[in-house]
Amino acid sequence: MMSLNRRTTAAGVALAAGALLLTACSSDPEAETDDGDGSATPDATVELRVATFPPGADAAAYEAFAAQEAQFEADNPGIDVIGVEYEWTGPTFAVQLAGGSLPDVFTVPFTDSKTLLENGQLMDVTAEVEELGYADSFNPIILDGVQDADGSIYGFPRQAYAMGLHYNRSLFEEAGLDPDNPPATWDEVREAADAIAEATGKAGYAQMAIYNTGGWQLTAQTVARGGRTQVENGDGTYTSTINNPGTKATLEFLHALRFEDDSFGYKYDLDWGTINQEFAAGNIGMYTSGSDVYTALVRDFGMNADDYGLTVLPLEGEDPGTLGGGDIAVVSPTVDDATKAAAVKWIDWYYMQKLLNEDAAVADAQVLAESDQAVGTPVLPVLSRELYEESLVWIEDYVNVPVDQMAPFTDRIWDQTPVGEPKGKTQEIYALLDPIVQAVLTDENADIDALLTQADTEAQALLDQ
Amino acid sequence: MTTTPARASALQKPAPRRRGPRTWVRGGGLTTLAFALPMILVFTIFSWWPIVRSVVMSVQETNLIDPPTFVGLDNFVAVLNDPLLGTAVLNTLYFAALALVLGFPIPILMAVLMSEVRRGKGIYSALAYLPVVVPPVVAVLLWKVFYDASPDGVFNTMLGWVGIAPQPWLQSPDMAMPSLVIEATWAAAGGSIIIYLAALLSVPAELYDAAEVDGASIWRKAWHVTVPQLRGVIFVMLILQILATAQIFLEPFLFTGGGPNNATVTVLLLIYRYAFQNSLGGNYGMATALSVMLAIFLALLSWAYFRLTHRWSTS
Amino acid sequence: MTTEVSTRASQRAALAATASAPGTEADARRTRRRRRPMLEDTRGIVSEADLRQRKVRWSMRGVHVFLSVTLVLAGLGPILWLAKAAVTPTQDTLRQPFALWPNGIDWANLSTAWNDIHIDQYFFNTIVIAAGAWAFQLLVATTGAYTLSVLGPRYAKVLGSLVLATLFIPSVVLLVPLYLTIVDPPLLGRDFSLLNNYLAVWLPMAANAFNILLVKRFFDNLPREVIEAAKTDGAGPFRLFWSIVLPMSKPILGVVSVFAIIAAWKDFLWPLLVLPDPAVQPLSVRLPAVQSQTELDVFLAALAIATIIPIAMFLIFQRVFLRSAGLGGAVKG
Repeated sequence: MMSLNRRTTAAGVALAAGALLLTACSSDPEAETDDGDGSATPDATVELRVATFPPGADAAAYEAFAAQEAQFEADNPGIDVIGVEYEWTGPTFAVQLAGGSLPDVFTVPFTDSKTLLENGQLMDVTAEVEELGYADSFNPIILDGVQDADGSIYGFPRQAYAMGLHYNRSLFEEAGLDPDNPPATWDEVREAADAIAEATGKAGYAQMAIYNTGGWQLTAQTVARGGRTQVENGDGTYTSTINNPGTKATLEFLHALRFEDDSFGYKYDLDWGTINQEFAAGNIGMYTSGSDVYTALVRDFGMNADDYGLTVLPLEGEDPGTLGGGDIAVVSPTVDDATKAAAVKWIDWYYMQKLLNEDAAVADAQVLAESDQAVGTPVLPVLSRELYEESLVWIEDYVNVPVDQMAPFTDRIWDQTPVGEPKGKTQEIYALLDPIVQAVLTDENADIDALLTQADTEAQALLDQ
Repeated sequence: MTTTPARASALQKPAPRRRGPRTWVRGGGLTTLAFALPMILVFTIFSWWPIVRSVVMSVQETNLIDPPTFVGLDNFVAVLNDPLLGTAVLNTLYFAALALVLGFPIPILMAVLMSEVRRGKGIYSALAYLPVVVPPVVAVLLWKVFYDASPDGVFNTMLGWVGIAPQPWLQSPDMAMPSLVIEATWAAAGGSIIIYLAALLSVPAELYDAAEVDGASIWRKAWHVTVPQLRGVIFVMLILQILATAQIFLEPFLFTGGGPNNATVTVLLLIYRYAFQNSLGGNYGMATALSVMLAIFLALLSWAYFRLTHRWSTS
Repeated sequence: MTTEVSTRASQRAALAATASAPGTEADARRTRRRRRPMLEDTRGIVSEADLRQRKVRWSMRGVHVFLSVTLVLAGLGPILWLAKAAVTPTQDTLRQPFALWPNGIDWANLSTAWNDIHIDQYFFNTIVIAAGAWAFQLLVATTGAYTLSVLGPRYAKVLGSLVLATLFIPSVVLLVPLYLTIVDPPLLGRDFSLLNNYLAVWLPMAANAFNILLVKRFFDNLPREVIEAAKTDGAGPFRLFWSIVLPMSKPILGVVSVFAIIAAWKDFLWPLLVLPDPAVQPLSVRLPAVQSQTELDVFLAALAIATIIPIAMFLIFQRVFLRSAGLGGAVKG
C-alpha cells in the first residue's frame, strides 16, 4: 500500500518536472488536432479539476505543473484546468471517494481499480480510448485490470513495474560472487545470501514485512514459484488459495535463511521505504521490490550507482510469473459529458503522450536528467513492448542509470509471464499475510502449515463478505 | 440527530418558562446564555453528539455513501468473531500488567528517596521530569533507534559492556512488548515522581515529630506515617495508569505497527485499523462497536475511581 | 498514551484537591504559602536526630549517589545522546553509537533537517496548534465556569452534570464519531468539512470537562464579598468577569494553560486523522511520516530540533511545570 503510494508520488513529481518540456515544444500536433474537432465550444468553458500531487510536494513540481497547465489551456481554449492536491491514502481518500469530492481526474493503483469499478466509482471511457486509437496498443495484461466482465474500459493505465531482484554488486564481490552473473534460482539466492553474510557480516538477503508490504512480497514470490494466492471464479467471486506449495516454499525459504543460515540480518520490520534505505546504505545483499526503485535509491538515499545490480526474480515450478503493478488515470463517475471529454483530453495530454510521442518523451527525459533525476529506470510498458523499446531509443542520450548493471533484468524480463496482483480484497489480504511473514522470521518454531491454513480461512472470510 | 438538540433546548427552557421571556432577558438571562454558549456549543458538537452517535453507529452499517442502515448487533458479533480481538485484549492486558510491575514501584521509590535528601531536590526533580518534556512521538522515534537490534545498536552496545549478548528488542515477538513498556515507563515516570514527591512533601511534619516522640525508627516511620499518607495518591495513580494503558496506541503504532506476528496489536490499534486503515473506506460500525465495549469497561473503572477519589478527598 | 498519564493524573489530582480546599481566601492564601517551599527545606522520614547516626549519614550519601547516577543516566542521557547524534554522520552513529565524533562533526545535518524536511514550517504549525488550543480552552473553561459558578442560572445544575458526565467517557469512544463529525459537521454537511482546518483540533480540545471543573472549583472558592461588592458598585456580568474574577484567578489559569499547551504539543493521533495535508501538520505527525525517506543522521537532527523548544521552555518555566505536575499533593496539603 505504502509502496504503491510512494511510487505514484515520485512518478507524479517526475511527470510534473517533465512538463516543462512540453511548454518548450509549443507546437504539439496532437493537441492542435484535438482543438480542431474539439467538442467543447469556445465560449462554454469547462472547468476540469485534476489531481496534481500529494499535499506537500515541492515548489518546483507546482511550478512545472503551472507551466504545463498553461500550455494545455492554450491548446484547449475551452478547458479551464484546476489543479487539486490529491493523495491516495486512507482515510482521506475514503472520505473524498464517499463524498464525491475527488478531482474529476485522479489516479489509483491497479489493486484498487477492480473494487472501485465494481462499486461504480469509475467512469466508462471505452469509446474515448478507442477513439484515441491506442486501445490496441495497451499491454493486455495491464488493460485487464481496468476492464469489467464485458470488456469496457474504465481508465488509462499510465505506468507499471515488474518485480525484480535487487542486489549489491560490491557485497557480491566481497563475498567472492560474480556480480555479472547473479543468482537465477532461489537456491542460488540462498547460497549467495549465505556467502555474503559469511564474508561481510551484512544481511545477505532481506525482505519487507510490515504495512502490507510483507503480504505484497510474499504474493510476488509465491507467483514466482508457480503458486497463486487467489483464483477468480469468473462470476465476481474469488477463492483463496493461500495454502499452496508456492507460498509454503517461500515461507520455508525465509525461515531457512533466518534460522538455518543466519543470513537474513536482524531487521524484520522493514517496509518499502526502509528496505530501500538499508539497501542504499550497503547493509543488504539482495531483496525483491519493483523494478523502478533505483530512482528512490539514488535520489533519496544517495546510493552509490556502481554498487547497484538488478536481475529478474528466479522462476520455478509450474506456470510461474512475475508480479507487476502500477497505476491508472481515471475519470470521476459523476462528471457531465463535456467535463468527461475534457478529462480524457487531459489524461491523453498529461499522462499518455510522453509514452507515445517522441517530442514529449525527449523533453521529459531532458528535464529529468537536468535535475539529476534517474532516466531509464526499467519499467513495464503499459503500451506495447515495441513502443516502449522505441521510446528508449528516443531518450537514449539522456539515460543516466547504469544500464549494463540492469542488463540481467532487461535481457530476461520479456521471457517472464507478467501476472497482475490478486484482485479480491487485495490490501486486506496483504495485511493478513504480514504477520505470517513476520512469524517465520521471528519464531524459530513457527508452524507454517498451521499459519497458512488459518490465513486461508481468514482470507476466504474476507472474500465472502 | 434528534437527541442532542432536544437535550440542549431542555437545558435552556426552564428559565424563561416561569417568568416569561421579557423578564428573563431583562434579568440578564441573555447575557448569562452568552457566557454559557461557548461551553454548550463545543460540548454539544464535539462531545455529547459524538457520544450519542457512537452508540447509534455501533448498531448501524455506515459507509458514508448510502444512508446508514440498522444492523442490530452484527457489528458486535463481527468484532467478537475477529480472531485478532483475543490477541489484542491479551496484549493490552499484558502491557498493562508489565507497565504496573515496572512503572508503578519505580516512581514511588524514587520519590521517597528524593524527598529524603536535604539538598538537591530541585535538580533531581528537573532531571526526573526531563523525559516527560520530550514530545512523546520524538521519544518513541528516538528509542526506536536505541532498540536497533544489530550488535552495534545503542542498547546492545551497552549490554556488550557488561558482557550480555545482543538482544532482538522490537524484532522479536517475545521482547517487543517489554521494549514498549520500558520506553513508556521512561517517558511517564517523571510525572508520577513529581506527583508522589509533592504528596510526600506535604505530609505534615507534626506526624513524624509525634512518631519520634514515641521512639519510632526510620522504618517504622516509613511504614506507619508515610505509607498511610501516600495511600490515596497511590490508589489514584494506580487506577489512572490502568485507564491509560487500556488505551495504549502511540507506542505500538509507531514502534512496531502491531508486529512482529501481532505481538503488539492492542485494542486501540485494532479500532484504528477497523476505521482508518483501508483507503477504500473503513468499517466504522465495527470500530465504534469495539470502542463502545472498551468504553463501557473503562467507564465502570472510572466510576469506581471517582467514588474512591471522593472518599479519599473528603476523608 | 501512557505518557499522558502524568498530565491527566495531575489534572485529576488538582481537581480532587480544589474540591477539598476549604472555601475561604485565608485558606487559599495558606495553601499558596505552603506551596512555595515545596521542593526544599521540608523534612521527611529521616529526622535531624537520625542524621546524627553514622550509618544513616552514609546511607544518605549513598542515596545521593544513586539518585545522581540514575537520574543523569535516565533523564539526561538519552537527550545528550540525541544532541550528539544530531551532528554525527549516519555511519558513525550506526557503527560506534557512543564514540564522540570519530570522523568529525557534521553540522550540515541540522540545516538539512531544517530546510529539506521543512522542520521550520512544522514547528510553526505546532506552535499555531498549541496557541489556538490554549486560547479556546481558556475561553471555554473560563466562560463556562463563570456561568456555572458565579452567574448560576437555573439550568446551571443540569448543564454542570452534563459536562461532568463526559469525564466518565473515555476519549477512545469518541475517536470515530468525532472524526466523522469533523468530516461531516452536523447540520452543515460535508461542504463545511473541517479536515485540514485547525479548528478541527482546537474545538474538540476545548470540550474539556477537567478544565471547566478545575476553574469552576476555583471560582467557587473566590471570596463572595468581593463579588457582591463589585455588583453593588454596578459592575455588570462582563465587567465582573473581566476585571474582578479573571485577575483573581491567575494561578488556576496558569495551570490550565500549562495543561492545554502540553496536551496540544503532545497530541498525535487526532491531528494525524484530521490534518491529512502535510502543509498544516504539526511535528508530531510529520516526523514519523518522513522517517522512512530520510537518512538517519538528518532524521536524528530533526528529532533534536523538535525537542529543543519544549526543553528550553521547561528549563525557563521549570517551577511552573513542576508545580502544575505536582499540584495534586501540594494543594492537598
